Amino acid sequence: MSDAVDMRVDLAGIPLRNPVLTASGTFGYGTELAPFLDLTRIGGFVAKSLTPKPRIGNPPPRIAEVPAGMLNAISLENVGVEAFVEDKLPALPEGVTVIASVFGTEPAHYAEVCERLAEVPRVAGIEVNASCPHVKAGGIEFGQDPKMLGDLVTVVKRAARQPVLVKLSPNVTRIADMAKVCEDAGADGLSLINAVQAMDVDIRRRRTVLRNGLGGLSGPAIRPIALRMVWQAAQAVKIPICGIGGISTPEDAIKFLLCGATAIQVGTANYLDPEAAGRIADGIADYAREQGFPRVSDLVGALESW
Amino acid sequence: MLSPGEVTNVRRDDPLLPRPMAVFRQRPASGPESPSDVEVLYKVEGRGTALLAEAREGARIRLVGPLGRPFPTPRPGARVVVVGGGTGIASVYGLAAEAPSGSRSTLILGARSATDLMARADFEALPAILQFTTEDGSLGEKGLVTAPLERALAEGDVDTVYCCGPTPMMRACAERAAAAGVTCVVSLENNMACGFGVCLGCAAPRPAGDYALVCRDGPVFDASEIQWDGLP
Ligand SMILES: Cc1cc2nc3c(=O)[nH]c(=O)nc-3n(C[C@H](O)[C@H](O)[C@H](O)COP(=O)(O)OP(=O)(O)OC[C@H]3O[C@@H](n4cnc5c(N)ncnc54)[C@H](O)[C@@H]3O)c2cc1C
Ligand SMILES: Cc1cc2nc3c(=O)[nH]c(=O)nc-3n(C[C@H](O)[C@H](O)[C@H](O)COP(=O)(O)O)c2cc1C
Ligand code: FES
Repeated sequence: MSDAVDMRVDLAGIPLRNPVLTASGTFGYGTELAPFLDLTRIGGFVAKSLTPKPRIGNPPPRIAEVPAGMLNAISLENVGVEAFVEDKLPALPEGVTVIASVFGTEPAHYAEVCERLAEVPRVAGIEVNASCPHVKAGGIEFGQDPKMLGDLVTVVKRAARQPVLVKLSPNVTRIADMAKVCEDAGADGLSLINAVQAMDVDIRRRRTVLRNGLGGLSGPAIRPIALRMVWQAAQAVKIPICGIGGISTPEDAIKFLLCGATAIQVGTANYLDPEAAGRIADGIADYAREQGFPRVSDLVGALESW
Repeated sequence: MLSPGEVTNVRRDDPLLPRPMAVFRQRPASGPESPSDVEVLYKVEGRGTALLAEAREGARIRLVGPLGRPFPTPRPGARVVVVGGGTGIASVYGLAAEAPSGSRSTLILGARSATDLMARADFEALPAILQFTTEDGSLGEKGLVTAPLERALAEGDVDTVYCCGPTPMMRACAERAAAAGVTCVVSLENNMACGFGVCLGCAAPRPAGDYALVCRDGPVFDASEIQWDGLP
């Protein structure tokens, strides 16, 4: 078709078929959703965050529904980097772009996973989940302290071979400062936002709904917060941004592109409709065509001022 | 074809997360738009099921499924006891309906009272020995499902107990079966988000100290694989 929109984007050196990725922790290791969604309809996916060794998560209840969103406290549960490389990656169909997410309770754990992934060509990029509590620093998230965050990025950049996206925690006062710290420490791009710290209470049982007490809020409830943070980060840095938070429709995704995101990730919406990311990619292309943008990358940061 | 114990995730536009529902029955298509009709049996518990109940004919409802592992098929010739309580009766219906010929099933259904028991006529039409229990005695035996279960187990020839219902009921049935040295298969009803093994939200603790995912590894489990104390 002559008026086909060029949907390709370059996210920090990771070439993507289209700007729609799926978010870590909401898409498993890729094969789980393959019965429902042709994985070549989307730009790629970010796998569940990995630690050096397999980890089990928190006792249940781990999830709860809240208005327009959900709370989760899964903790570090994952198969470990070795099983990811040996079992999960080979099970994926060809032509699917994979970004590996890493986390740990110490910088050395992040580095260990990145070093293991350095020789794995199937992994196109690394996303650093900075919303993990730093055990030696009393449990504060890496992403909540500028010094800790900068040091973490330095360690990861030294260990990683692939482009590095740093996934920012929204549980901070000034997101722009955190974005800048990452850029200065050599991050190739940013992903934001992770889930927003929150809680809820069951008044009949007089207990928190989650066994863990606190959890992360995700879903449409956080979308306006996420959009604001993406916009602020985009003003503050030159490195590309991947927008995340409550994206459920093509319209939601387009807003993030207009506010400066080069690509976006679909998270909680995958649970409601495993085809959501595919529909979002199609809908962005339709919009770009209707609005006369030959390349989807022309939409990035195209927000008009009043 | 859907199998007894399989689950679908049912959703209208609101609330956010889909609601897991057992496949009660599958029938040939009633209209040209549907490859086949899936029946679920549900009780209005809160917002999700209330909105479902308000849906008019022709309303669009999204189903994702079939999800999870179904009940193992009873062995031909074996005597099985099938126990259902609350909305759990929906998952066990197919077990009794599709039992291989020659197998003998006893179906025990428990409810708070006669008016809480859904689809009674459908269960009465099944080729099984049917026993009702109600807590108020308004239908069948007054009391809990465990009393007729114990009597059936005492007869000594039970091969497997199948069970779906509230967690305390399943736990009690599993304990009775274990005491009699009989395998017990349960279908858990933990809250879910995705239903296909990616959110890790539906974890059920196992005796080894790790977790099974109810949506992927279950919802049907051998009761010995479950650490009942840690279930929400
Ligand atoms: C594998 C599985 C199969 C199920 N099969 C059936 C079925 O065939 N028919 C049926 O009517 N129900 C079934 N349920 C339970 C059903 O999913 C819940 O009743 C439903 O989620 C309630 O939603 P709601 O929005 O109406 O209520 P909510 O407002 O969400 O909750 C109202 C009440 O229901 C309870 N509840 C919420 N979710 C669940 C749940 N998942 N399990 C048990 N209690 C819950 C809450 O604790 C609360 O007390 C099944 C659940 C699972 C996990
Ligand atoms: C159940 C669940 C598990 C998650 N696990 C991870 C994870 O392992 N690593 C990570 O970086 N983010 C994780 N997230 C956060 C999401 O990737 C995403 O940043 C967040 O949910 C906001 O996007 P959404 O509103 O579209 O879901 C998880 C989210 C949920 C709901
Ligand atoms: S409901 Fe998501 S993993 Fe089971």
